Amino acid sequence: MTTYPRGRRARRDSLAAVAFLGPDLVGLLVFVFLPIAFAIYVSFFSWNLISPMQFVGLANYQRLLTDSEWWLSLGRTLQFAVIYVPILFVLALALAVGFTKLSGRVSGVIRTAYLMPFAVTSVIASTLWLFLYQQKTGYLNAFLNLLGIPDQPYVGSTSQAIASVIAVVLWTNLGYTSMLLLAAIKQVPVELIEAARLDGANAWRTFWSVTFPLIRPTSVFVIVTSTIAAFQILDIILVMTSGGPADATEVGVLYIYKRSFERLEMGYGSALSVVMFVILLVISLIQLRFTRRSNLEA
Amino acid sequence: MGRSRVASWVVGIILAIGAIAVVVPIVILFLSSFKTKASVFVISLAPDTFTLDSLAKALSPGLLHALLNSLIVSTLVTVIAMFIHAMAGYALARFEFPFKRATFVIVLGSLMIPLTTILVPLYIVVRVMNLTNSMAGLILPLLFNAYGIFLFRQFYLDFPRELEEAAELDGAGRFGTFLRIVLPLSRPVIVPLTVAFFLGTWNNYLWPLVVNQDQSLQTVQVYLANQISGYNTSWNVVIASAAISVVPVFVLFFFLQRELRDGIATTGIK
Repeated sequence: MTTYPRGRRARRDSLAAVAFLGPDLVGLLVFVFLPIAFAIYVSFFSWNLISPMQFVGLANYQRLLTDSEWWLSLGRTLQFAVIYVPILFVLALALAVGFTKLSGRVSGVIRTAYLMPFAVTSVIASTLWLFLYQQKTGYLNAFLNLLGIPDQPYVGSTSQAIASVIAVVLWTNLGYTSMLLLAAIKQVPVELIEAARLDGANAWRTFWSVTFPLIRPTSVFVIVTSTIAAFQILDIILVMTSGGPADATEVGVLYIYKRSFERLEMGYGSALSVVMFVILLVISLIQLRFTRRSNLEA
Repeated sequence: MGRSRVASWVVGIILAIGAIAVVVPIVILFLSSFKTKASVFVISLAPDTFTLDSLAKALSPGLLHALLNSLIVSTLVTVIAMFIHAMAGYALARFEFPFKRATFVIVLGSLMIPLTTILVPLYIVVRVMNLTNSMAGLILPLLFNAYGIFLFRQFYLDFPRELEEAAELDGAGRFGTFLRIVLPLSRPVIVPLTVAFFLGTWNNYLWPLVVNQDQSLQTVQVYLANQISGYNTSWNVVIASAAISVVPVFVLFFFLQRELRDGIATTGIK
């Protein structure tokens, strides 16, 4: 349809594009990119929001290099991700494969059941699990007692706190993640599976040599996005433990949060934010390398 | 044949047991909200001490006000976001204009910048704009999630051109065509995105916590979190408040569960 002269059409398009894209572009620049530029700028200052900003050069960055609390909290973030991501991926994959074996009404009901915690928001999930984790009176300990296991302290002890928080995050995200993997498994052509079976491969072998390689892009996507999410878990920790007991759950983003909003060290908080941003950017770039470019461009 | 039958039964039973384990906490949440302070920790499926007392205590003006605030914020964010993201996605899919690639790269790039990472500088920016403790300050930063733009663009790339061309021949402008022809036919992408934006905003705890100290604008997540951290947590009231605030989301969830499930399958959004 080239009823318009080319130049006029192009100009009309450009004007329309400005109008259509304007609100989003301005918003993204002001509320996403400007904060990053601002974080870099503020990270060279000392600032408590009230008195005037003081230029301190690289002092904030020098400080974070030797800030053992920061490195410990970053270590806890890493520990969180290293425990959380593999468990999430393996369980979600097992669930997704299980779902393919079911059919009909029951299958829909079961899948919805796994997806339900997804609708329970993180503050409510934290509240609910704090309630279940109660030490003397809680439901979980009562259940364990039935099995002959003594009371556990959960978020009340330094050794179990991280695992207890991870359990809550797993609970909310497992169903959603398995749906993503299920969608990928369903896209594997049936002929390939049948061909493998005809060649004498059992279900186990067929899965690992046909299905698993073909869902690799989704697997990479799931692993990378859950890693990034694991680096950013803040709301659940804030509600459940505020970083305690004895800093056992004080992860990187929580340390940044406390420095910035509790001690009002905006310059130092910004420097830490910049470092965290660079870490997540590297993880994202790894994802971009692994996922096919065509996924984004098509 | 017989063997695979047995196998699928075994898988079904294991999955069902897992499903029950996943759902039990939610059942406990609702049942416990019908119990008293004394009985809230007593394990029983049918609450023998059935009472509406805790729910009545939980339904304070504070909670109702917070629920209303959350409803307003989530609805405004969802409606505005759908509109501007649909327009932006449409422009990226259909129009030819200078710097189109660069624009798309900016949109994609913003996907790599999650809210938690920029929480501190975002707060500073909003503070400089003098928007802290205001509805605008609460809403504006939550609108610009580029997943919306990206998914609308993908949808419009596959959208049949013929309809728009007919409308344009009838003399409708770009915007008229978009509003009257394109937008009403965008349901397949709007529904999952509406759920995602509404849930995401309703769920958001950090941004309202940071940007707003004004009691009259308090959202329900902040209200609930404050209840727990208060001294002498009365678990029966806290649990009842949590149960009440999860209801709106569950209603949405059950109405749209099929579309949500398919939405995750096709778009991969949260």
